[in-house]
Amino acid sequence: MMKKMRFLAPLLLAAAVSAQGGTVTLSFNQHATQNLFQTSESVAERISSFSLAFDQDISAFSLMANVGYSAFHQTSGLDSFAADLGFDYLVPSGSKSAFYFAAGGAGAFYSQDYAGFSTLGASLIGAFKTYVTPSSILKLQWQGNYASYADRLFDYVSQVALLSIDKYFPTRTTLKADAEYGYKYFLHPFMADTGVMTSPKTAGSAVMASGGGFGGGSGWGGRQYQGSYGFIPRAGSGGQGIGHASVSALVAQGLGDVVGLSASALRQWIVSGENPFLSIEEFYLVSNPSSDSFSWDGYQLTGRITLNLPGSVELKAGYTHSDKTYPGVDSMGLDGLPLGLVRNDTRDLIEARLEKSFRRLTVFVAYSHIANDSSDPLFVWRSGYVMGGFQWSLPAARKGGGS
Amino acid sequence: MRSKVTLLALAAVLAAGPAAGQTGGPPPGHFYDVDKEVRFEGTVREVVFEPRYKGTAPFLVLRVEEAKLAKTVTVEVSPSWFFREDIHSGEKVKGIGSLSETPGGAATIIARQLQLRGQTLTLRDKRGFPNWQGGPRGQRGIRRFGGF
Repeated sequence: MMKKMRFLAPLLLAAAVSAQGGTVTLSFNQHATQNLFQTSESVAERISSFSLAFDQDISAFSLMANVGYSAFHQTSGLDSFAADLGFDYLVPSGSKSAFYFAAGGAGAFYSQDYAGFSTLGASLIGAFKTYVTPSSILKLQWQGNYASYADRLFDYVSQVALLSIDKYFPTRTTLKADAEYGYKYFLHPFMADTGVMTSPKTAGSAVMASGGGFGGGSGWGGRQYQGSYGFIPRAGSGGQGIGHASVSALVAQGLGDVVGLSASALRQWIVSGENPFLSIEEFYLVSNPSSDSFSWDGYQLTGRITLNLPGSVELKAGYTHSDKTYPGVDSMGLDGLPLGLVRNDTRDLIEARLEKSFRRLTVFVAYSHIANDSSDPLFVWRSGYVMGGFQWSLPAARKGGGS
Repeated sequence: MRSKVTLLALAAVLAAGPAAGQTGGPPPGHFYDVDKEVRFEGTVREVVFEPRYKGTAPFLVLRVEEAKLAKTVTVEVSPSWFFREDIHSGEKVKGIGSLSETPGGAATIIARQLQLRGQTLTLRDKRGFPNWQGGPRGQRGIRRFGGF
């Protein structure tokens, strides 16, 4: 895959730069972690990520393309090549309102033990934004997604509807409230009931199923995800949906020209269905198909500070506390037997990012530290994550107009 | 010294005529000129969505009451930021942009950088090339923790 990228990247770069009226952005990020799989069994990893994005406006349309490659230095199966292509369209409605529509397709490709994570998908977005008053903005957005995995166990359709309103006050205070409804339907998340047994979760070992793997094996890739550090599917048939509703509130305060403060709270309820999988995973930097923002019921509290320093230097720091319950997901003992508890995680996240902008280059370093407690002992862990990188915008555009 | 020169340049153009956008958008030749960069600072008095360039989506345009000159200057932001950033009337804003003088006497600042709410928002690079990407769909990136 690295060899393919070696040939593909220069071609894409040359094509992008030669195009008129476009924006080309080249990014490189280097990550280091002591806990790739985010379990009590730490696995250190270094990850290098490259991406090349290209945007071009054609009338009111914008075309967007992005290719990226992530190289995992130890876990080569998680090396991934990703690409997406899409367009959006802006439709003004008077001088204070506009509609926004977007459509796109995306693919991500993994190998070896993680080939089942490979996916092809499509998305649609419709949005409306209007100034209710000069200091108050109302937004409505709907997004639909479809994803087909190389292991069909993870195939899904989903939709999210969002309503947002804010108000800015002369005291430099912004209040914002959001309400969201989301629904995700796994098309066929269950294994055929053939008496598959799971092995105990023992320290340092992957959870395996008899019969050569967990996955259905009949997706477009014909792949079976073998399970890793905590994923266990259920036996059964048919589909399974999970729906949530959430509300959130944010207050932000500017102090002079240098300091920005914000605090936010989010509460999410599962209003229908539950997760189809018995145990789920969450890897660092990998869009793991067994868990995401649809999976949990609970709350999240966040505080942030932004310092706008001289010399185009920006410092951001934040703290987030979350308490999440995963309906349908069992807490398992290290012996692999269910504890009779729905999995519940509480997490404390501290993060900071320092960014410096040069003439055409932006460089940054960032650090995150997480302490995760869980009713499932496999998911009690603490770890730090270091990241650094740059973003380089290439001059492929006219200097004046919209592109 | 630099800020005095900036203010004089800005005042001269502002004195020449009404703000752009009120006359149907900039004429041909309206482009980012790094030799005409100015700094501006003031309070957003109006936020509108206007056609600015033939064959492109309308732009988010700010009418900013310049703090030191007590005059209103038109600041051209970008098309897609209408959806990506929320700018309100009454917000204090500082920025850097290219002063565009038009034959009709309209004055517009093509913004390169905006500072508001303690954040720096980069719209173009230092040579004036656009740095924006799509609307809600344009917010890409591999999954990371937290918000930044």
